Amino acid sequence: MIEINQLTKHYKQGKNVVRALDGVSLTIEQGEFVAVVGRSGSGKTTMLDSLGLLSKPTSGSVVIDGADTSRLKDNQKARMRGEKIGFIFQEYNLLPTLSALENVMLPLRYASKPAGDRAWAEKLMSEVGLEDRMHHLPDQMSGGQQQRVAIARSLVNKPSVVLGDEPTGAVDSETSDQLAAIMRRMNEEHNVTFVIVTHDLELAAKTDRVIRLKDGRVIADETTVQEAVAV
Amino acid sequence: MKEIVRNLIRRKLRSFLTISGIVIGIVALTTMGALANNFNALLDGGAKYYASYVPVSDASANGVTSGGIIPLSKADEIAAVPGVARVFPTITVEAKPGTLQVVSLGLPDRIVSYDRAEDAYSALKTSFAAGGDVTQSGQIVLGSNFAAEFSKKVGDSITLPVKPSDATTDFVQHTYTVVGILNPTLTAPDTAAYVDLADAQQLFKEQLPVALQATFDASQYAAGFDVYGTPGTNLDQLADRINADVSGVKAQRPTKIVKALVAGGALFTEITTAAALLALIIGGLAVINTMLMAVSERVREIGLKKAVGATTRAVMREFIVESSLIGLIGGLIGFGIGFAVTSLLNASMPASQGAIFLVTPGLGALCIGFALFLGTAAGIVPAYRASRMDPVAALRAN
Repeated sequence: MIEINQLTKHYKQGKNVVRALDGVSLTIEQGEFVAVVGRSGSGKTTMLDSLGLLSKPTSGSVVIDGADTSRLKDNQKARMRGEKIGFIFQEYNLLPTLSALENVMLPLRYASKPAGDRAWAEKLMSEVGLEDRMHHLPDQMSGGQQQRVAIARSLVNKPSVVLGDEPTGAVDSETSDQLAAIMRRMNEEHNVTFVIVTHDLELAAKTDRVIRLKDGRVIADETTVQEAVAV
Repeated sequence: MKEIVRNLIRRKLRSFLTISGIVIGIVALTTMGALANNFNALLDGGAKYYASYVPVSDASANGVTSGGIIPLSKADEIAAVPGVARVFPTITVEAKPGTLQVVSLGLPDRIVSYDRAEDAYSALKTSFAAGGDVTQSGQIVLGSNFAAEFSKKVGDSITLPVKPSDATTDFVQHTYTVVGILNPTLTAPDTAAYVDLADAQQLFKEQLPVALQATFDASQYAAGFDVYGTPGTNLDQLADRINADVSGVKAQRPTKIVKALVAGGALFTEITTAAALLALIIGGLAVINTMLMAVSERVREIGLKKAVGATTRAVMREFIVESSLIGLIGGLIGFGIGFAVTSLLNASMPASQGAIFLVTPGLGALCIGFALFLGTAAGIVPAYRASRMDPVAALRAN
C-alpha cells in the first residue's frame, strides 16, 4: 500500500516559485491499476518522481508498505527502489550493451537480497512474449519489444509497485494496446500495483482508477476516465 | 564485467586511443626500467664486490687496482697490518687492446689474474657452468659473456689478447686452453677471462714499452692487491691503517668506491622515474578524458541504474572498474611490447656487450601494477561525478 500525505514540491524558476505539487494526499491499495492524468505541468511526473523516491519532496511524506520514506538517506532510498519499486519509462531506457535478458536482470545486480533470479527473469521474458528474443540487443528489437523488456525488468525484483512514465508514449496505438494488456495481466497475475502517468486517455480508460491533477493538486479521483475528465 | 568490456568494444577507436596512451607510457617504463635493472645489477654486483675488500695499488695510481706497478714484496708488509686476513696480488690487462668503447653499459673484455682461493673471501661468488678451475699455466676460465662472444666451450683453445688491426710486429699473443666457463653474474666476471698469476704477469710485461720489457722481472710485480680483513674488521679503518703503516701504496676505502657506484645507479633510477611520470601524464590524461566522455554519454544509463537500485557506491565502482580495466589492458599490452622490444634489442647486441636490458618479474609487476593504479586513479573523478548525478535529471537527459 502507498500513502501520500500532504505532498508538496516547490522549486524556483527564475524569481518565481513553481508549485509542482501542492498538498497531494492519496492512498493506493496493493494491486490497484491506477492512471494519473493531467495536462503538461500539472504535476504528474513530479508526483511519479516523488513516489519513486527519485526526488525529495519539499514537504509531506510517501509511505510504502508501512515504511515512511521521508527520512531515508539517498542510499537507503536506492535500496528501497531496488526492492519495492519497478520503473517503466517512455524511452524504454535499456542499456545498449546488454541483451534483453541481461537488461531484465539488471536490477538484480544492485539488490542486496534479490527477490528474483535468472529463471524468474526468463519466465518474465516469456510472459511478455519475448522468449525468442532473450539474447537480442536492444537495437535489434522494435520499440514495442523494447518496452516489453522494460516491463519485464520492472518486475524482476518482485516489487510492490511499478511506476510507468508515459509507457506507451513512444509506440503506435496497436502496440500501445498490446503493452496495456501486458501491464494489466502482470498487475492481475502478480498482484503488483501499477501507477501509470499518461496523456493517453485510451490507456487511462483501461485502468481501475484515474487520478487527475491540475496545478499540482488532485482535482479528480474516479473509477473511470470519463468521470475524471468531466471534473 | 561483461557490460564493461562491451562498453569498451562499443567505442573501439576511443578505447584504442586511450589504451594506446597507456601503452606508450608503459613501454617507456618497461624499457627504461629494464635498462636501469641491468645497470643496477651490474652496480649492485660491483658494490657487493667492492664492499668486501680493500683495493691497494701503487701510491701514484689513480684507479682502483690498476694503473701502477707494485712489488709483490709489499704483500708481506700489508699482511702484517692488524686486521688483514689475506692478500691477493692482482693483474688486469685488456683482452682487446686498442678497442675504443665510446658508450658502454658494462666493463670491457679483460684478462684477470686468478686465484680460486679468493672466492672464499669475496662477497661476489662465482660458479662454473662448465669445467673447473685453472690449475696451471696455459689454462683459462671464461666469464659467460666472454665465452659467448668468442663461441668457446670447455676444451677449446683461445688466443689472447686479440690482435688490433694496427698492431706492431712485436705484438705477442698466447694460446690458452679453456678449462672452465662461469655462470652469468650480471656483473664484472661476465666479461672477464681468468688466468693464473704467472700468465697474467707475462701479459702485464708484454704490455710495457719494449725498452722496459728486457729488464723487467714480471714475476716480482703485480698491478695491485685485493686485501681481505679478518671477520669483524672495519674495512675503511683497515684501509687507513694500510696507508699509515705501508709506504708506497694507496689503499682505497671501500665505502668511497661503493658510494660512487650508488651515485651512478641513481641516474638510472631518475630516468626510470621520468618514464613513469611520462606514463602518468600521457596515460592518466587519456583515461580521465575518456571516462569523462563516457560519463557524459551514459547519463541516462546512470539515471536508469540509480532508478533500479544502484547506490552511489555501486555506480562509482562500475566506472572505476572500467577505468581500471583500461589501465590493466594498457599495462599488459605495454609491458608485452616493452618485453618484446627489449628482447629483440638484447638479441641484436654484440656478444661482448651482453644483454643491456634486464626484464624481471618484479619489473613486470611494477609496470602492470602502475598501469592499473593509473587507470584506477584516473577514473575516480569521472566516477565520482557519475555517482553524484541527480537521477531525475539523468533519466530525462537528452
